[in-house]
Amino acid sequence: MDLTLDILQDAITNLAKKARKDSIKRRQRRNLSVPAAKWIAPAMIKGRQGYALSVVLATVGCSHAISEAGGCTMCSYLLDGTEEHPTHEQLIQQFEVALGKLEEKPVPYSVKIYTSGSFLDTREVSIIARKAILEKIGRDERIEEVVLESRPEYVSDSLMHEVKSILGDRKIEIGIGLESTNDQVRSLCINKGFTLDKFQEALEICKTHGIGIRAYVLVKPPFLTERDALLDSVSTIIKAAEMGITTASINPVNVQSYTLVERLWRSRDYRPPWLWTVVEILKQARKEVNHTIPILCDPVAAGKSRGTHNCGICDSSIIQAIRSFSLSQDLDVFDDLSCGCRNLWEHVLTHEDISLVSHL
Amino acid sequence: MTRFLIDKGHDGPIRKGELEVGDSRFVCPLLIGPNTKLPFEVVGRDLASKAVSLKILPSLTNDISLPDGPEPLILPSLPNSSLFGRDAHRTLLDHQLDLLDSKDESFQERAVVRTSFGLTNDTYLEFLSRAKTFGIRSVAFQFDGYLGQNDLNAVDLRISTPLSWLTLALGRVDLSLLPLLVYLGFDLIDISRAEEAASKDLRLWKLSTEEFGEHYDERYCSCPACNGVSLSDLSESERYKVLFKHNSEQYRILLSECIELSNRGLLRWLVESMTHATPNLAGFTRRISSTFYDYLEEFTPTIGSGVIPLIGPESYWSPTVKRFRDYVRIRYTPPSQKKAILLLPCSARKPYSDSRSHKRFRNAIDSALGSAKHEIAETILTSPIALVPRELERAYPAANYDIPVTGKWDAEELEIAANALVDHLSKFDVSVPVLVHASGGYRAIVEQVEDQIDQDIIYTNIVGSPTRRSSLQSLSEKLTELKEGIPLEKGHSTELEDTLRATADFQFGTGAGSLLIPEESKIKGKLYRMVVSKIGKEQTCAFVSENGVLSLTLFGGELLKPLGRYWARFEGEKVRGGALFAVGVKSADPNIRPGDEVIVLNRDDNVVAVGRSEMSGREMCELDYGHAITFRHKVK
Repeated sequence: MDLTLDILQDAITNLAKKARKDSIKRRQRRNLSVPAAKWIAPAMIKGRQGYALSVVLATVGCSHAISEAGGCTMCSYLLDGTEEHPTHEQLIQQFEVALGKLEEKPVPYSVKIYTSGSFLDTREVSIIARKAILEKIGRDERIEEVVLESRPEYVSDSLMHEVKSILGDRKIEIGIGLESTNDQVRSLCINKGFTLDKFQEALEICKTHGIGIRAYVLVKPPFLTERDALLDSVSTIIKAAEMGITTASINPVNVQSYTLVERLWRSRDYRPPWLWTVVEILKQARKEVNHTIPILCDPVAAGKSRGTHNCGICDSSIIQAIRSFSLSQDLDVFDDLSCGCRNLWEHVLTHEDISLVSHL
Repeated sequence: MTRFLIDKGHDGPIRKGELEVGDSRFVCPLLIGPNTKLPFEVVGRDLASKAVSLKILPSLTNDISLPDGPEPLILPSLPNSSLFGRDAHRTLLDHQLDLLDSKDESFQERAVVRTSFGLTNDTYLEFLSRAKTFGIRSVAFQFDGYLGQNDLNAVDLRISTPLSWLTLALGRVDLSLLPLLVYLGFDLIDISRAEEAASKDLRLWKLSTEEFGEHYDERYCSCPACNGVSLSDLSESERYKVLFKHNSEQYRILLSECIELSNRGLLRWLVESMTHATPNLAGFTRRISSTFYDYLEEFTPTIGSGVIPLIGPESYWSPTVKRFRDYVRIRYTPPSQKKAILLLPCSARKPYSDSRSHKRFRNAIDSALGSAKHEIAETILTSPIALVPRELERAYPAANYDIPVTGKWDAEELEIAANALVDHLSKFDVSVPVLVHASGGYRAIVEQVEDQIDQDIIYTNIVGSPTRRSSLQSLSEKLTELKEGIPLEKGHSTELEDTLRATADFQFGTGAGSLLIPEESKIKGKLYRMVVSKIGKEQTCAFVSENGVLSLTLFGGELLKPLGRYWARFEGEKVRGGALFAVGVKSADPNIRPGDEVIVLNRDDNVVAVGRSEMSGREMCELDYGHAITFRHKVK
């Protein structure tokens, strides 16, 4: 089986590379002093209603995505990045621009820093810039929660020491795209390039510094049937919770440009997950997982053909229920959902397993 | 124990068979899936049912324990495989073999290999040769229902599969696609589409799909699910149940129609009729008919009874039709005494000689030529079988086909007939004139290729119909002119030997006529009943008017043997019983088709029986079960 997996792994890596094509070079020139994206949303922060800022810093992008490994099968966040290296002044400026968004919003604040890669990867964010940004947060009393996104290989003892000493008593989480606790799924279907052991290692380091882990769980990578995907996500959330993560963030696949997923989707050989599947994952996982661990879901492109969707009629009410569940963690919000398309979804759950034919 | 037995009877690649699963027996072709006798069960995921089911192993599950029992076990692969290259597809197949590697034979017998979208034929063939060391005898193909390249590939792979294997069609099989898949020889067909359609509020019909919606005009249906209920009055969940049951019933009804029609040699006609369901299906059917012609032809019987309707362009290339044209082109040689050719239009009644129009033509010929008529080669122009030498008018399907008559020919049928005419006339000497007694499209055929014909062409003067008195008068006059000009000599009728020799050539290939009915033969009988040919006192063959076939005696078989065609060999000395079974056939002429008259050779190469084949030559060699040859005569 190992040999079998190797060959399939090679095939999928090559397909991921092929899908990426020259998208790296086609990245547009951008103003390196403003972030790639920034948005704010109401959020529960340490039990109080406040605001969360999400900022995507424009960097050279994810090292895994640029590398010969080909990047992940569903991800084109690389396109958010830039070809040039921003200077550390520019990176700091990007963060300041984003922080401005929060002015005049009621406290407390939460800040999530993404880079479409790893904030802790020094190839993307230099040590000087990283320290400066962290210190800026450290000085801002209004910010009570911080999430830093990174692949697990950049999580080291010394770095966590640095983070902790700058940010102090704030709630700190390192956001890691765990995607699945099944190594086969993560490696074969996603081409993620790290093992569960590596994730565990990062998690243990964080624990010793009192830093939490926010695990991103991917719903329906390619090469899984709808039911494979449902079962894998539920068991991933449960297992990750047992391992000691502090938050689970559920991400249904959305079809991004220049990805293997997009090529399959265009060949009518892939469909993003049903909203019913997402609901079912949240229901099953919430019942199993300790209530101190929030299970969040804010699906991208939900209701659109490139995102998680149902029949088109019931989509918005279900998306609303999912969002409200993320805030309340209350499963009752799913009680009254119904639609004629549920029969079709149930058919898909079994028949994809039987036929391995994608049901669009 | 899982076993697949193929029974006798062919109408194209469709095979009737029996699937044994433990103590249960299923007749194939069989519908599988929800609401059928053979549902699915995904191992470890669906509730285990007590009823017999097809077990599915989920993908990416290496450590799952294979369930015991007699039921077929569909091995795992991956979805979304369409972009994979060769290596990945090979790996997906080999992984299935790996699962079986350590298992005993009973698991291998139950195993159903799964192909994947994007798998090419060469990779599949390589896999088949590796799979030989395993006991696998079944394979499942995927259909996405778009009738594009994926579905065409599934058919292509099916065709490359060993004949004795059980074949499954999984995926989205629309109701209108069912007859084509049955025709192509899929043994188990997934009808989960019935459930999918119901969940989309669709009621399936043979040629159309009805959607339940806001402005709904209810269609009448008498099926047990719909009878007495109005869809509009039902709750959503009740409606779903009714639609699901109705849809499943439609598959059952249509399969039953397929089987019954195939028993009458009419399955191809149903497949052609179904092309009117959607342009997509029409395109798919046409592509399959031309791409896989050899495969379809191999299993299409050479005999039949009853009327064969040939209605649209789909029929022009149907195996029965194209094969007739090919046999006439390749195997027919005109009798040497023919000094003139007469081209005539076809008639609705078959054989043509029995029609009023041809009786009138015969009267005109008789009155003009008298006993010199044996030097005229009569050839009937028609569509879509192109042309029929008078000697072969009782052969299949010349005596059986029926076409819509409008007097208008389309470009394709004109071209088919014109090409056939050029080939046919090239078999005659350039000095042999061609008299054309035909009008409209028939005449257009000749005119279209005038410059490719080396012989003189003479047209009779037809006003209105060729059977009108004045037209017949013109025919008589032209014939009389020919008789005097060439001249045509008096002689005795050669109708019987011409027919028997032409039929022998048509059936067994060029040269068979002179071997089987040599000069010294004594031929007696009526063409409209039976004609017997003897050498001395011993019969060699008999022409049976009813199906236009020559049946052999053992002596005839001996005479035919040097031709090296239409033989099957078995390893014993003498045959016993009424039939030879496939398991007993050692080797056979691959050109044998179901329905052919064949000779049976023993291990010493002696003719020990003659009879009628029930399957193709390749099947005789490859299958372990089933009737191969029904004996007509055998060495006592």
